Amino acid sequence: MTMLSSVAERLYWMARYLERAEDTARLVAAYNHLIMDIPRGSELGWDVLIRILDAEPAFYASYRVGNEQNVLRYLMAEQDNVSSIPFAVRWARENVRTTRDVLPEETWEQINELYLYTNDTAEKSVGRRNRQAFLEEIVNRCQLINGMLASTLPRDHAYRFLRLGHLLERSDMTTRLMDVGAGEILARDGTHGAIDPLIWASLLQALSAFGAYRRMIGPLVEAGRVVDFVFREAMLPRSVAFCLAGAREELKPLKSHQAALRVLDRGRRKLSRLNPDHMTRDELHRYIDEFQSLLSELHGVITATWFHPDTP
Amino acid sequence: MNESWKSYQTGNFFDELITPKGQPRAAARGAIRLLQQLPLEEMAARRAAAELAIREMGISFTVYTEGGNIDRAWPFDIIPRVISARQWQAVSDGLRQRSLALNRFIDDVYNKQSILADGVVPAEVVLESGNYKAPCAGMSPRFGVWAHICGSDLVRDGDGKFYVLEDNLRVPSGVSYMLENREITKRVLPELFENYSILPVDDYPSKLYQTLASLSPRERRRPCIVVLTPGIYNSAYFEHAYLAQGMGAELVEGSDLLVADDDCVYMRTVDGPVRVDVIYRRIDEEFMDPEAFRPDSMLGAPGLMRAWKAGKVAIANAPGSGVADDKVIYAYVPEMIRYYLKEKPLLASVPTYLCMREKDREYVLNNLDKLVVKPANESGGYGIMVGPHSSAAVRRKFARLIEENPRNYVAQPTLSLSTAPTYIDDAVEPRHLDLRPFILQGEDSWVTPGGLTRVALVKGSLVVNSSQGGGSKDTWIVEGKA
Repeated sequence: MTMLSSVAERLYWMARYLERAEDTARLVAAYNHLIMDIPRGSELGWDVLIRILDAEPAFYASYRVGNEQNVLRYLMAEQDNVSSIPFAVRWARENVRTTRDVLPEETWEQINELYLYTNDTAEKSVGRRNRQAFLEEIVNRCQLINGMLASTLPRDHAYRFLRLGHLLERSDMTTRLMDVGAGEILARDGTHGAIDPLIWASLLQALSAFGAYRRMIGPLVEAGRVVDFVFREAMLPRSVAFCLAGAREELKPLKSHQAALRVLDRGRRKLSRLNPDHMTRDELHRYIDEFQSLLSELHGVITATWFHPDTP
Repeated sequence: MNESWKSYQTGNFFDELITPKGQPRAAARGAIRLLQQLPLEEMAARRAAAELAIREMGISFTVYTEGGNIDRAWPFDIIPRVISARQWQAVSDGLRQRSLALNRFIDDVYNKQSILADGVVPAEVVLESGNYKAPCAGMSPRFGVWAHICGSDLVRDGDGKFYVLEDNLRVPSGVSYMLENREITKRVLPELFENYSILPVDDYPSKLYQTLASLSPRERRRPCIVVLTPGIYNSAYFEHAYLAQGMGAELVEGSDLLVADDDCVYMRTVDGPVRVDVIYRRIDEEFMDPEAFRPDSMLGAPGLMRAWKAGKVAIANAPGSGVADDKVIYAYVPEMIRYYLKEKPLLASVPTYLCMREKDREYVLNNLDKLVVKPANESGGYGIMVGPHSSAAVRRKFARLIEENPRNYVAQPTLSLSTAPTYIDDAVEPRHLDLRPFILQGEDSWVTPGGLTRVALVKGSLVVNSSQGGGSKDTWIVEGKA
């Protein structure tokens, strides 16, 4: 059974948006936790979240200051900016609406429930009282949909392009998270050493990887170990290495996969050269930048090869 | 009995479920008894459950307005409409007969034209109609069938007899709502199903698949079937996706297709181009192929007509089928049945005055306040004048329209459409309804058990179209007594 290029593209984007909604919720939730733990006087700015998502120009076009209220309204409740949860949910839903025929019947129902929930609840969840419950519910509902897809979808093209979308979006969000660590701590280098572990721990939490880190690495949270774990731990489902290995698995059975595999393998080689213990924060930041452009190159090749091939 | 039913009055109309004496009709007895015993709050709870199910299942339709397109939740009434299987059998036979005759007519018109030569149907009515597509002349699709999917609108008059109101042969829609209505009833009133033998409707997609597969130009175990949709902004997009999924077919837009130099149709896939055997077309033929019809169409794919005429792809309904979907042609269907099948029509048609005939026109103009006037070539209930409900100004406007373009207008007596109990606010009240069954015609023919019942939710209104405030009901064909 083959698949329309246009459908493959929508599935890929549906997965990216769904993953983006989940990861944004995770990011905000982890940050929200972190803020409460930080001692008075060394508060982190909420605008860090805007920086992670590369959303500064759009954000400052509508807000003057990056305070808690503004940043969270921007990410949790606004409908029309590309970094918000409701935006990602809406577009995940739009893409399901146009691919319902290749997805399990309940997909539409579940994404629709997620959409209705987001619309009904986002606005009143910006305040501290309901915030955490809302973010958790978003993560849960996204996982429900992913779980349902993983346990019912035949392993054919539909699954393949969904998975590619998920894995690419996830690597992108994971590297962004690490960049906060690098960037945020870079800015404070040395002066706030005491809160370093808190920040790295919250980043692990955002990836649901804190428990795994403690079991596999140990209870001490150190920058170098965390970066290495999150980038390279082949067994950790949200690690970059895991995502790339998964994407490779999905690309291999596709026709005309050579160009995409070349880019992907470059990424894997780059990963194997990562040595966080011998890198300055600045070098780490540059490394992450390069990695992100590699991911964007991979996205470009996938689009050109399978979604918009030149006339056959 | 709960309060909401106590004041139910059938009035001067035939009621589908309740006799003039206020007793449930035999086929509906079980359902009515149960519904009458539900406490008021329980009725309201079931209705709320249905609304929730509709929202969650995302059953919607699109309304076009000046302010943009709006996605509305599908309006549904929880009280089903019940018809006995025995009565339905007769209707179903009549529909099959009709579909057969209409298809013979279309095939004849594009080939020998014997019905025109014999003067049974006036040649100019057919050949000068915008629905007659000259590029289709000389084609003879497999089994001589052009309109593979037909949706006929039925009504019941005051005497309880079924009449065909019109035959939709172009791209009839509504079948997915018929299927979803049953789903909803199963969810919100499961106990109704306990003591009934209700004919299932959910095998429609597989019947449709079989019909379409039988048209494939290539002998293949699983021909490549696609559903061609104008896209997400079409009011029936929900249905296009629903049927594609039900058949395991690809849902495509024009841009997904291309016609190559070998005249074959291909779809663009991640594995490269794949040949298409059958196109279930849910897009007007005018927009289907900019090469053959409207050059400004962005919806179709250039070359589809070329591929169809070369016999490389089957298209359902075949381009040109609309020639029989015209309210003037409608008046001749009983004649067609006699002409082609040598049979008596099994289903009644509504007496129709053709304004192009001088005598008819004179009668129509003198009796506008009693008649329903319809343009010959519109659907969706647009451009209709219901005489008894219209103002003198509107009647004057229609008189002028008729004089200007008599070919384009027909008139029919105002029928007293049947009613059924409908749950409005906190009371059960009679509302007028119609019924759209679907007829599939390939090598064999098949009729849906029941169809889509549409109900005018506004008191006294006869307009059932969902775009104009209509709702819908689950329709049951039941065997035996309950």
